[in-house]
Amino acid sequence: MAITRREVFKNIAKGSLPILAAGCVSGAFSEVAHDNEIVPMPKGAVGLLYDATKCVGCKSCMVACARANDLEPDTRTDGLHQSPPALNSVTKNIIKLYRTADGSDHSYFKQQCMHCADPTCVTACMFEAMRKDPETGIVWWLGSKCVGCRYCEIACPFHIPAFQWGRFNPKIVKCELCRDRLGKGLEPGCTTICPTQAVIYGPHAVLLAEAKRRIAQSPGRYAESRVYGETDGGGTQVLYLSRVPFRRLGLPDLGYDPVPERLKFQHRIYKWFALPTVLYAGMVFYASRNFKQHAHHLVEDQKTTGLRPQL
Amino acid sequence: MTRWERSVPVYGIPVVNRGFWGLLIVVAIGMVLTVFREVVGLGITSGMSDPYAWGLWKTFNVMVLTGLGSGAFAVGIAAWVFNRTKLHSVMRVALLTSFLAYFSGLAMLGVDVGRPWNFYWVMLPWQWNLHSPLLEIAFCMSMYATLPLFLENLPPVFEYVIYEFPKWGGIARFCEKVLTKVYPFLIGLAYLLPIMHQSSLGALMLLGGNRVNALWQTPFLPLIYVWASGFLGYNCVVLCLLLAKVAWGRDVDPEVLAEMNRITCWVAFTWTAFRFADILVRGKILLALRPSAYSLLFWTETILIAGSAYLLYSEKGKKLQVMFLAHAACALGGMIYRFSPTTLAFRPRPGAFYFPSAIEVLICVGFIALMVLGYIIAVKKLAILPGTNADWLKMAKYEERIKPGIRLTGYAPVEH
Repeated sequence: MAITRREVFKNIAKGSLPILAAGCVSGAFSEVAHDNEIVPMPKGAVGLLYDATKCVGCKSCMVACARANDLEPDTRTDGLHQSPPALNSVTKNIIKLYRTADGSDHSYFKQQCMHCADPTCVTACMFEAMRKDPETGIVWWLGSKCVGCRYCEIACPFHIPAFQWGRFNPKIVKCELCRDRLGKGLEPGCTTICPTQAVIYGPHAVLLAEAKRRIAQSPGRYAESRVYGETDGGGTQVLYLSRVPFRRLGLPDLGYDPVPERLKFQHRIYKWFALPTVLYAGMVFYASRNFKQHAHHLVEDQKTTGLRPQL
Repeated sequence: MTRWERSVPVYGIPVVNRGFWGLLIVVAIGMVLTVFREVVGLGITSGMSDPYAWGLWKTFNVMVLTGLGSGAFAVGIAAWVFNRTKLHSVMRVALLTSFLAYFSGLAMLGVDVGRPWNFYWVMLPWQWNLHSPLLEIAFCMSMYATLPLFLENLPPVFEYVIYEFPKWGGIARFCEKVLTKVYPFLIGLAYLLPIMHQSSLGALMLLGGNRVNALWQTPFLPLIYVWASGFLGYNCVVLCLLLAKVAWGRDVDPEVLAEMNRITCWVAFTWTAFRFADILVRGKILLALRPSAYSLLFWTETILIAGSAYLLYSEKGKKLQVMFLAHAACALGGMIYRFSPTTLAFRPRPGAFYFPSAIEVLICVGFIALMVLGYIIAVKKLAILPGTNADWLKMAKYEERIKPGIRLTGYAPVEH
């Protein structure tokens, strides 16, 4: 059967109607739905406040963390205890030193899970193996659900989750704010030992107020005169104060919106599964019409050739 | 001038020959190393690390090769939905390449994950995290490969049974009839699911944020990904057809090839234009003009894709050698594009480095060899590659001489 160019264009136009509609709808929504609302914190949100200006870099918190979590000491091959270059499968908490090349400026920096208000790893995880506790807001890992795809490692903007690469039965390792200890009425390992109170534990609201108090008390002491984590990436339950600009410490500029917000177009397109259904119905309509034509064509062919038709 | 009228098996050449053994050795090495990887874990066997948590297996075998294996979707949607009737003759090649690419990709996904015994959660929908693009891929891709794509590949198998095992012919005919009844609903699914998971492959890296270079990171990543699979599918099918001419002396139908070239060239052109428009609107064009490894990569992709699209558009593209080169270059450009956001243009943290280990590469190559092996066996046993009615009659004469009991011609008309 010959098909005219005109018909082709008509089909293309018809077939793309649902797609066009999708584009218009999502475009319209994105105009309306742009709001700067901070992601609400859980009621009993707890967290850490790390003040880099108070930290003396003794790394006691790393030892305390390893002890609280029953992690073997990270010796790598050189026998130096607890001095890995980055978080890894036996290090849930690390103290790093930022120093300019000429040594004119330096600051310590503590890194562990930020316990985001809207965690990217939780959005990324296929089966909710990464989950945020609705009460305390602690982000933790449930081994029985994890397939080991490591999407959480790709997704986390802070590079926190670590994978046990050497194991037959590998686990994801990250700070869970010493969940078990909190249940027993204890504090997280790192905050129990800090000699200068550089890192403290408490309810998120209290810590935020304390951080703001410190900024108000000594104006000009802190970088950008703000608390990192109050709004960054939708807010995190671990808060930072620093004299050195945050990005130099390796804290990314995430802006106001949580990273999972980047998927909002996707979610809108899949809402109620309506657009895929419309698209499916449209394609089946044209496919069945064209299928009938094709089958007719095949039967006609067989009459002349005597060969079995092929689908 | 040859007209492709029906699919004809490659006949007169034994399945087991030197090439077969060569491929089998590569496959065997890959499989042995896969067992080794399952026993000792990922650390020793791969170059992956915490910052580069995804290696070749996911970023190449899944992200890139399923793009190349989108022929069933790209050619099929043009043939069945947009009624480009000429393309029906190459549908079987497209379906077979897609089937092999998807199964190899899914198998690699199983090798890549660290805790595969937990995969059974995918069968319990109430345990899903519907926000995860990876879940969408895992579910949608396995559903596509096992349902529409698998069923669409069955007609050549039924045909084989009818001809070679007349005893089972009745059952095969019945199955064929049932399949014909549900076919339109099936192929609707066969185009919806790839649109969904091919775009989700792009959505994966949306969560990568600023660590993916700004030339690649865009809110339209899902659209650009699924669009790229549009021309990659055609590239793969045309390359298969031209290689069949080189390897087995199969004639080509210039009209069908011209149709495919036209579609490839327009998809590739519009893809490039959209990508440029996106970069311009986001105001990142200066990144492409500043000399750096990223701009080099960007221009390599662009020139390979747009350049070969131009070649296919021009008169020169009618020459088979030029056509082959153009499709190969276009496929290469598209493959680099699909590889970039996860690996080449992905900088998780300063100082982090990824290069695949030898074992990783050998397993990757082993699974690719498995695809090629499956393809070669299939085209020799089943009617996949397009040919003429005269080819079929020649083949029938040959087959009926060496296997007296079978009948390949002279079928009375049946109603469909």
